[in-house]
Amino acid sequence: MAKNKLPVFPSKTMIHKITNLLHDGMEARTTGKFEIPPALGDARWTDELILSTWHMAATGTLPENLNYKTGESNGGFDRLDFKTLDEEQWLKHSEDISTSIQLNRRGDHRKKLSPAIPIYGGGMSYGSVSVNVMMARAIHAKNWNTYMSTGEGGYPEELYECRDNVITQVATGLFGVEEKSIQASPIIEFKYAQGAKPGLGGHLLASKAGEEVAKMRGSVPFVSLFSPFPFHSTYSVEDHSKHIDWVQTINPDALISVKVSTPHDVDMVAVGSYYAGAHIIHLDGGFGGTGAAPEIAKKNIAMPIELAVPKVHKFLIKEGIRDNVTLIASGGIRTADDIAKAIALGANGVVLGTSDLVAMGCTRCSNCEGGPSGRGCPWGLTTTDIELQEWMQQDWGVKRLDNYYTALQWRLRDILRKLGLSDVNELVGRTDLLVYTRSDGK
Amino acid sequence: MQLLNKPEGSQTMIGASDKSRLTIAEFAKESRIRADSYHRYHIDTIETPDRQALPNRFLVSVGKFGLAKLLMSEVFEYWGKWDVVFARPCTYGVFSGPVGGFSPRPEKCVGCLRCTIEHPEFVTITPNPALASLGDSYLNSKIISTIDEEARKGTVPVRGQGYRGRFGGPGWDGMFTDMSEIVRPSRDGIHGRELISTIVDIGSKPMRLQFDSEGGLVSAGPKMMSIQVPFVFDSPAGSVMTPSLAKIWKAAAEQVDTLALIPGDMVTSNNLASPSVVPIISLDSSETASSFKNGTRLIQLDGWDASAYASISSSNPDLMISIRMSFETGWQGQLNEMIDAGVSVIHFVANNHGEADGDRFIMDIIIEAHEMLLKAGVRDKITLLHSGGVVAADHLPKAIICGLDAVGLDLPLLVAIQARLSGDTSSREDYKAKLPRRFDDKWACQRIVNLTGSWRDQMLEILGAMGIREVRRLRGEMGRAMWCTHLEEEAFSEIEGFIGGGI
Repeated sequence: MAKNKLPVFPSKTMIHKITNLLHDGMEARTTGKFEIPPALGDARWTDELILSTWHMAATGTLPENLNYKTGESNGGFDRLDFKTLDEEQWLKHSEDISTSIQLNRRGDHRKKLSPAIPIYGGGMSYGSVSVNVMMARAIHAKNWNTYMSTGEGGYPEELYECRDNVITQVATGLFGVEEKSIQASPIIEFKYAQGAKPGLGGHLLASKAGEEVAKMRGSVPFVSLFSPFPFHSTYSVEDHSKHIDWVQTINPDALISVKVSTPHDVDMVAVGSYYAGAHIIHLDGGFGGTGAAPEIAKKNIAMPIELAVPKVHKFLIKEGIRDNVTLIASGGIRTADDIAKAIALGANGVVLGTSDLVAMGCTRCSNCEGGPSGRGCPWGLTTTDIELQEWMQQDWGVKRLDNYYTALQWRLRDILRKLGLSDVNELVGRTDLLVYTRSDGK
Repeated sequence: MQLLNKPEGSQTMIGASDKSRLTIAEFAKESRIRADSYHRYHIDTIETPDRQALPNRFLVSVGKFGLAKLLMSEVFEYWGKWDVVFARPCTYGVFSGPVGGFSPRPEKCVGCLRCTIEHPEFVTITPNPALASLGDSYLNSKIISTIDEEARKGTVPVRGQGYRGRFGGPGWDGMFTDMSEIVRPSRDGIHGRELISTIVDIGSKPMRLQFDSEGGLVSAGPKMMSIQVPFVFDSPAGSVMTPSLAKIWKAAAEQVDTLALIPGDMVTSNNLASPSVVPIISLDSSETASSFKNGTRLIQLDGWDASAYASISSSNPDLMISIRMSFETGWQGQLNEMIDAGVSVIHFVANNHGEADGDRFIMDIIIEAHEMLLKAGVRDKITLLHSGGVVAADHLPKAIICGLDAVGLDLPLLVAIQARLSGDTSSREDYKAKLPRRFDDKWACQRIVNLTGSWRDQMLEILGAMGIREVRRLRGEMGRAMWCTHLEEEAFSEIEGFIGGGI
């Protein structure tokens, strides 16, 4: 598109041409027909991890010639491996190996939610991503009996058809938070902080805060939105409890999730959240994804998820409440192997965000905040540009995510059977089944 | 204040006395004047374009034959739908020239890779080795690109997607800063209304005041000054520093309200003395200390000599004197001597990679120096500065957490004005800097001001996340830092094969 030309809704022919080129090109790269793009990937998401995710999303199977397990960050998940049994002791790969987890462990009257996999979708707001992306994730969550979070940007009308699988997020800016959407959701997620920008509040830069986005958020179009930090009504765990009471008055059946970052005292925060009434403690580590965040916040503030999960897990055990709360990890979880490692370190399950986007074509070019074009993602993912968002069609996105999760579940079961476990819940906190390696994935 | 109803229907504000009896209109006017006269410290950044652009991030290669073949086939497939035929796979303008992909514009490429995924047969995007070759192993091309952006825009770099680098790492990368989920006195970082102060004090604060039997003050009061930011502009290598650069350093320091450290002879010969300029004088020329006028508040003696210090101090009682010295082996002994001699400002230096005292990284050495001062009970009597190895915005708060009051910046300022460094860039003296062919002082000054504005705002983000309202309180706050190696010990010590964090 020539510079300064206003975007227009593309014709069917145009959508057909662009989407076909993209889909064919992705397939050509993953099948090895063409070389791996030399500019693809980084230490955390290597070129092979991105291409293997594309392969899984296209086929529902694991790739044969790509490393789909680890990155090259030289630490954390990339230095951990599994102490698998001798081959003769492996269980048979089967659907009988359970990957389902329980989200309500408090034993109260609220819903007993059991997603089929220990994974649900992390918050990505309307504005940071398109409705097509939100809907693809929501329909996929419905197909898999799991959940996805709205993020902090309101609850687009289209999502109501998947209401039983959509988590309403209440974040510090309260953008788009309505009684209606709180009443619709099985889980309400309080976002205190985000791993990619701990202590800073959400960012949506002006170029992406268009008319529709602003309307949903009750803001002025094309004005940058910086959510406050922290909740301006919360200065203590008692205030936090008041928040939970407020939401539970509106929706008495919903589970409460509390999403926090990973500071020094994250273990105390988790215990406080539990006693305030949380069903789910969601830890978001410092390597997490974002639509826009100051570069200095990424990695420098708060700790990686690999280091926070065991800290919190052990402290919850010490406090005698580990079995009463669900511990969810996110922020830098890229693969099925990462998922299993997070669970072995002490989590019950994980939240994925970036992985979903990569499955739908993201190359992690980091221009989600708008980029020099001001229009957002050229792949149609993290954008609400009326032209670009059409490059990611909803039905295609659902298929990609369904396939990707099929492969993730297959690999998760593969890990479990090689460890002699028949249920993912048996893996929780089993650091004895992990081994620390001297170099990445070796 | 209260509001009263007046008979004529207007309202009056009642204060402590009749003098403060104001109508609402008067009160509003007075409030407006008061609000308008309030000056909140702020660095005025202005977008300042590059004078010599960095090499492009990516190289774009398009096979002309492949492109022509594609166009031919699409002309037939989409005959009449020319917008479809000529749709270009780039939203950033790489193919926006008159002949599109036949003459791409790689300077616009951001590496989204859409074009090479759509057309793997004939489009290749590769990282530009010319960019990657800039800098060295410490001040690498990524840091140079970031400083360049900060100096150009004066804003906090914001990007999508998460962290892309290694887990932990050496040096400053091995430290994470803390944050607070809920309980914090400051709000919203750089976007908030509540002030987060970045003022630091240079000089000595007495630990107590002493009075005679008549109640008269007999001890000395504080001998210090304040600067608005926790960094000073340090002099680059002797072969790089020119009178022209010195003037830029001075102008930028005055604008930001910090200090510029400039060789004393250059200050004299170019008439640069000012309250914002700190002349650096050698031990050989210590007799020139009293020659700097025009409001000079602080001078720096390059090296430690107890007798020279005593002599200058006694002959210049109103002048603050700092000592500049390397973190060389045995520095602890010299530090103890300076403590005993009552030195109030100590400026340590390490090489440009932050290495000193053998192979030690400055993070550990700064902590040791800070703790020595604490142990001696003189921490507030001595200001600790350091130069060398602080080249990125995140290094600044981390260095302060380790115990510095403020940091000396030199290489980042050169990079901000687009100097290309060569030679032994790890050494403080043996590197060269090639400046842009044409630039003026105003441009260079604004680039430095922009860099400081960006770094200060990033500092505020870190402080805001922690809930700390002033940078002075960050000094030595090691409880607000998390070391990757310690956390790894805590998390992985039970795991087979783990032999220690960071190994």
